[in-house]
Amino acid sequence: MTRRILYWILILALQLLVLNHLELSAYIVPQVFILLLITLPLHLSRLNQVLIAAGLGLIVDFFTATPGIHTSACLWLIVFRIGLLNRQDLKQQIANRMPYTFSSAGLVSFAYTAAILVFFYHLYLFFIGSIGAIHGATYGLTVMSSSLLSLTIIAIIQFSTTKRI
Amino acid sequence: MQQLLAFIEQRLHLIVFALLQVICGFLVFRLNPFQQVSFTQAANSVTDAGNTMSSEVSDYFDLKYQNELLQEQIATQFQNSTIGTLLVSGDTIELKDTSRKSLYDVIPAQVVYNTTFKANNVFVINKGGNHGIHKNMGVISSEGLAGLVLKSTANYSTVMSLLNTNMTVIPNIHGMEYYTKLLWVNEAPNVMRISGINKLEKLKIGDEVKTGKSSMLFPSGIPLGTITKLDKNPKSQYYETEIETATNFRSLEYVFVIINRDIDQMEALISEND
Repeated sequence: MTRRILYWILILALQLLVLNHLELSAYIVPQVFILLLITLPLHLSRLNQVLIAAGLGLIVDFFTATPGIHTSACLWLIVFRIGLLNRQDLKQQIANRMPYTFSSAGLVSFAYTAAILVFFYHLYLFFIGSIGAIHGATYGLTVMSSSLLSLTIIAIIQFSTTKRI
Repeated sequence: MQQLLAFIEQRLHLIVFALLQVICGFLVFRLNPFQQVSFTQAANSVTDAGNTMSSEVSDYFDLKYQNELLQEQIATQFQNSTIGTLLVSGDTIELKDTSRKSLYDVIPAQVVYNTTFKANNVFVINKGGNHGIHKNMGVISSEGLAGLVLKSTANYSTVMSLLNTNMTVIPNIHGMEYYTKLLWVNEAPNVMRISGINKLEKLKIGDEVKTGKSSMLFPSGIPLGTITKLDKNPKSQYYETEIETATNFRSLEYVFVIINRDIDQMEALISEND
């Protein structure tokens, strides 16, 4: 449990203290902390998942001074995740109280789910973030490049930490 | 009841999700300045669209009144014309010369029937003998000359349109009267012809043709049309001239009947000389 809490703190720190200040480009704003929601333990009730997503979103909103934006995006992500995972056969993993990772769900299933959720999260986040002044090409480029970088970092984190937590 | 509770329990996460999204929406559009401005702009555009629609509907029902106002406004434009000044009283507009002596009355009227496809076209207006309108009174539109009153009943009058082969007007171009005839030759409802203008006259396409002082039915300076064609036939010493009428007879809606108050005195004087 302590290790899991530490893992959450480290991922949040990576997002809030490092990635949010990287300033690689105006088009690259990766949101890696959503890995915490994607990899939530599978036995958690749906209501708990929604509440955890809201809590995590509020924390990120607090540190990024974007009240409601990440919270709303996290809520959509978790509801979307519930829908996607319902289509997968994860009874054994649920019974074993396992988190949703590539080692528990399989590389293909996890990669597929993570890619959709990461892309969806960035799509929604940048839409709300620039609502009323959306420029199609810039928006598309930001979503794609940020999603790709996020997925790459998530993959690295997954490969390096899954067995340890 | 149990089924309902079971349903709510099963969907509780969605209910909580919806409630939290509402709170998020409030936070996003209330506490983020950029989103707040966007939301305000979107709300304003929706309000504007609603107001525009409402305004268009009310404007439509106000059209009749606006048309009446326009008639009066158009009539007052005569104040700046060469034919004198104008006073409005009731639905009759009194046209005066610069010495303030009454010359013409102008009665606004609405066209209730109109033809443009016959050889001899007429239109009917909703004013007649009760309004002081009688045979042989001139009729103009806001654009130019429209016709001549043929016959009047108590409340209606038939007007011989300019698009009538029996209608002839003496044209005035650049202040010069040409003792020839402006005729409609039953071609197009906006094309008339003048024959008999000598080729030595310095005319050009675009010249305005107006009424002159040779008629007591119309004030001088009322537009008849614009020269659109000016052919020099080598076999003739006259121009072949086409005029585009100033008045659009296809959309003729409102006209003004011109009443020359002193026409009897003027005609009496002229007949004495003759």
